[in-house]
Amino acid sequence: MIKDWMKRNVFSIPSTATIRQAAAMIVEHHIGLLPVIDVEGRPVGVVRMSDLLSLELPVFVNLLPDLDFVHDFGAVETTRPTSEELDRPVTVLMQPRITVEETCGLLRAYALMYKHNLHDLPVVSADGILVGIASRVDIGVAILSAWKNIGLSEP
Amino acid sequence: MMAQILAVLIFLGSLWLIFSEKLNRTIVGLLGAAVMVSLGKILNFYDETQAANALDFNTLGLLLGMMILVALLEPTGFFQFLAIWAGRISRGRPLLLLILLGTVTTIVSMFLDNVTTVVLIAPVTILICEILGINPIPYLMAEALLSDTGGVATLVGDPPNILIASAAGFSFNDFLTHSLPVVVVAWLLALALLRYLFRRELAVTPPNADVVLQLNPRESLEDPKTTLRVLIVLGGAILLFFLEEPLDLSPAYVALCAAAVALAWVRPEISDVLRRVQWSVLVFFAALFVMVGGLEASGVFDKFATILVGVEGVPPVVFGLFLLWFSAGLSAFVDNVPITIALIPVLQVLSTRGVNVTPLYWALVFGAGFGGNGTIIGSSANIVVATISESTRSPITSKLWNKRGLPVMLVTCAVASLLYIVLFPLFTQ
Repeated sequence: MIKDWMKRNVFSIPSTATIRQAAAMIVEHHIGLLPVIDVEGRPVGVVRMSDLLSLELPVFVNLLPDLDFVHDFGAVETTRPTSEELDRPVTVLMQPRITVEETCGLLRAYALMYKHNLHDLPVVSADGILVGIASRVDIGVAILSAWKNIGLSEP
Repeated sequence: MMAQILAVLIFLGSLWLIFSEKLNRTIVGLLGAAVMVSLGKILNFYDETQAANALDFNTLGLLLGMMILVALLEPTGFFQFLAIWAGRISRGRPLLLLILLGTVTTIVSMFLDNVTTVVLIAPVTILICEILGINPIPYLMAEALLSDTGGVATLVGDPPNILIASAAGFSFNDFLTHSLPVVVVAWLLALALLRYLFRRELAVTPPNADVVLQLNPRESLEDPKTTLRVLIVLGGAILLFFLEEPLDLSPAYVALCAAAVALAWVRPEISDVLRRVQWSVLVFFAALFVMVGGLEASGVFDKFATILVGVEGVPPVVFGLFLLWFSAGLSAFVDNVPITIALIPVLQVLSTRGVNVTPLYWALVFGAGFGGNGTIIGSSANIVVATISESTRSPITSKLWNKRGLPVMLVTCAVASLLYIVLFPLFTQ
C-alpha cells in the first residue's frame, strides 16, 4: 500500500497564497510539486514547478514543432515575470487535484501517475485530509523492491 | 413565382446564418444546398443533374490542386526557413525586419494559400521578436495586412479571384496586367502607412540584435529534398499558368496535374497529405455553387434583370466605384467568399442587359480583396494572427485593429479607386 512508502512530512500551501510564495516554498524545500489546501487541510489542487516555469517559458516554444535551430534564446533568457504577475493568487496556475487514499495499491498509484504524466502524487486520509506525498521514484522503488525475492524462495 | 420566392428565401436565410456565425458555414452551405435541391425536385425547377452541372470545376479543381501542393510543402519547414532567413538578413533592425517578413509573406501568399502561409510564418515571427526582446504586434499585423493586399494581385492569390476569374473568363495574365499594377501601388502605400502607424514600436532598437545571426535557416528546413521537389513542380505550374491562353489550358487542369506530379515524385503517406487539405472550404464552395445554381434554375435572375431597367444609363465608372466600396464594406465584416458568390450572378444578369461587366468584375476583385483588411474578423489571415497573438503578452485586440488595420483598408481602397478611375479604359477590356 502507498502509505508504507510515502513521505509524511508533506509541504503544502493555502489557497490564499501568492505565486511568489509558492515559488519561494518550492525553492526552499527543493521540491517539484505543492499541494494547495483549504482551511481544513483538504487538497483543492496542485501547483507544479512546470506551472510556475510556464510564466517564463517563451511563447514560441509551444508554437513551433522543433527548436533545435534556435541556438541562442537572446532576450528571453533574461525576461522575468512582472511583480504584478507574481502577486496574483496561486490558484490561477493551479491544476486540478489528482489524489489517492492511503490504502491505494502501488500499481494503481503508478498507473495514475503514468496516465496523467505526474511526478508526485498527494495522498489523503479517508476523510480527505492531506497526509503524505509519494514521488514516481518512491512508488517505482516500492514496486521494484519486490523483484529481488522472485525465484529465491524456490529450492 | 412560388419557386422563385422560396429559392431566394433559402439563399438569403443561408447567407444570414453564415454571416451571423450561429452555425459553421460549411454545415449551413450543405444544408442550404440540400434544401434547394429538394425544393427544386418538389416544384420541378431543379434536380441532381442540374446541381452537379452548377459545380464550378475550374474553381474547385484549382483550389484542390493548390491545396495538395501546400499540404506537401507544409511539413517540410519551408515557410519557417523563409521567415528565419528574413530575420537573419534584417540583422535585427526593426524596420527592415518588418519589410522583409511582410514581403516574404506577400510573395508566398500570392501563389499559395494566405492562411497556411500566415499560420506557419507567424510562430517564427514571434520567435524572432521574443529573442530580440521586441513587441511582435507590428510584424504580425503587417504579415496579415500585406499578404491579404498582395493576394489580390494574382488569380491564385485569393479564393474570390478564382471565382471571379472563372465567371468572367479572366486568365492568369489578365490579373498580372490589370490587378498587379494596382496592387503594387496599394501594397507600397500600405507598407509606408504601417511604418507610420507603428513608428513608435519600430523606433525601439533591440539591445542584442546579433542574436538573430545565431539562427540557422538551413537547420530549420526539415526536409530539403521534398521542398525542392514541390517548389520545382510549383514553378512549373506557375509557368503553365502564364501560358494558359496560348496552350489553351485551364488553371484547374494545371493545378491538378501539378498535384499529381508532385505526389508521384514525393510519394508521401497519402492520408497525411489529404488530412491537411481544407475539405471544409471545398465543400463550402461546392454547396454555394449548388445553391446559386438553384436560384438560377428558378428564374430569379431573369426576373431580377427585368427589375433593373435603366441600369444601363448609370456611368460605368460610378457603378464600378460603388461596387468596389460596397463589396469592401461588406467583406470588412464577413467572409469575402459568400459575398463574391452572391454578387457574381448579379453581374451576370447585368451583362444580359447589355452592361459591360468586365470593369465591374475588377471592381469586385479590389473591393472583396482589400476590404478584408478593415477589421480583425475581415479575413481568415487576420483571425489567425489575432488568435496566435493571444498567447503572447500583448494580444492584438479589435480596438487596436481598428486603429492600425482600418487605415490600411481605407488607403488601399482609395488607391484602387483612384487608379480605377485613371486607368478605367484598361479595365473595360
